Amino acid sequence: MSVFQYLALTVLLLLSISTLRAGIRGRVRRRIVAFWLLVWITTGVFAAWPHGTLIVARAVGIGRGTDLVLYSFVFVVLIGFFYIYSRFRRVERDLTRLVRELAVRDPILPKPAAPDRTREAQD
Amino acid sequence: MDEQERASAAPSELPESMRRRLFIVIAAYNESGAIAEVVRELRTGYPNVVVVDDGSTDDTWQHAQAAGAIVLRHLVNRGQGAALQTGITYALTAGAEVIATFDADGQHSPDDLPALVRPIFASEVDICLGSRFLGQVSAMPLHRRWMLHGAVAFTRLTSGLRLSDTHNGLRAFSRRAAQHFDIQLDRMAHASELIDQVRSSALPYREIPVHIRYTRYSLAKGQRSSAALRVALEYLIGRLLR
Repeated sequence: MSVFQYLALTVLLLLSISTLRAGIRGRVRRRIVAFWLLVWITTGVFAAWPHGTLIVARAVGIGRGTDLVLYSFVFVVLIGFFYIYSRFRRVERDLTRLVRELAVRDPILPKPAAPDRTREAQD
Repeated sequence: MDEQERASAAPSELPESMRRRLFIVIAAYNESGAIAEVVRELRTGYPNVVVVDDGSTDDTWQHAQAAGAIVLRHLVNRGQGAALQTGITYALTAGAEVIATFDADGQHSPDDLPALVRPIFASEVDICLGSRFLGQVSAMPLHRRWMLHGAVAFTRLTSGLRLSDTHNGLRAFSRRAAQHFDIQLDRMAHASELIDQVRSSALPYREIPVHIRYTRYSLAKGQRSSAALRVALEYLIGRLLR
């Protein structure tokens, strides 16, 4: 094995351990833990055995192992992007709901004669 | 505002009992230059003017309050669609029977309100949409006209409704229609979204000719033509991810 493989496997092992610990302590949902473990283990297998990518690539009709890795990477990143974007929209929507609730709960009534300057701090 | 002398809000055209049941909702973001005059003009004829200050960094809300509006404050800026929904939600809880939306920059005329709300009070329709192309337009720049026609074509394509003006902030809804609405798109794309909801509500609607005053102030505050593409994209993504 090359130096790169030793390095990659060490890093992946550490990542797997920290993912497992996060899962055991209940900080991360089980589904997420399973997903990341799958990513680390798959990467580990292919790092230790690069020829494996070629076999899988051929099996699914892609010419080279590196292309398979590249396509998979792009695919996973796109899924991640979509997931983060939909999360972001949900947070935006919740924020709007919160801001609305506060605004409706505390209407400032008109005082044409003398504006009430004690209620809110001036900008 | 600098252009012409405005007529009064013509309150005599609408009975007192109707004016009391009408709530006028204005979404305002950094409109300290125009909001006081807009509110003052409306308040001469209408008791319930609600200004939603959408996280302005200037003193918009103090001006609105001093001019006689009920002010609702968004602590952070959430966009015009969100602000209008806030005003509508408040008006419903305050017992409004008819709710009108009005722009903060002085481009709408209070004189158009009676014609806009009367068909709703008369139970002829539930929704009245102001159309500047059926009415009289003062000094609309050519690029603005093209952009608005583009928006009309886009809405016709996406919602199937045949309207002459889809992005007009002067509208009125019955209580029933307002309860049906739920504006989700916070920024300018809400105008197309609202049209979708008009269609899905299956409630009767009508377009009413209104007069738009294009002043230097309202043009500077309005949407740039270059933003149209971004708004269209925002609307389509919003529809996909609903």
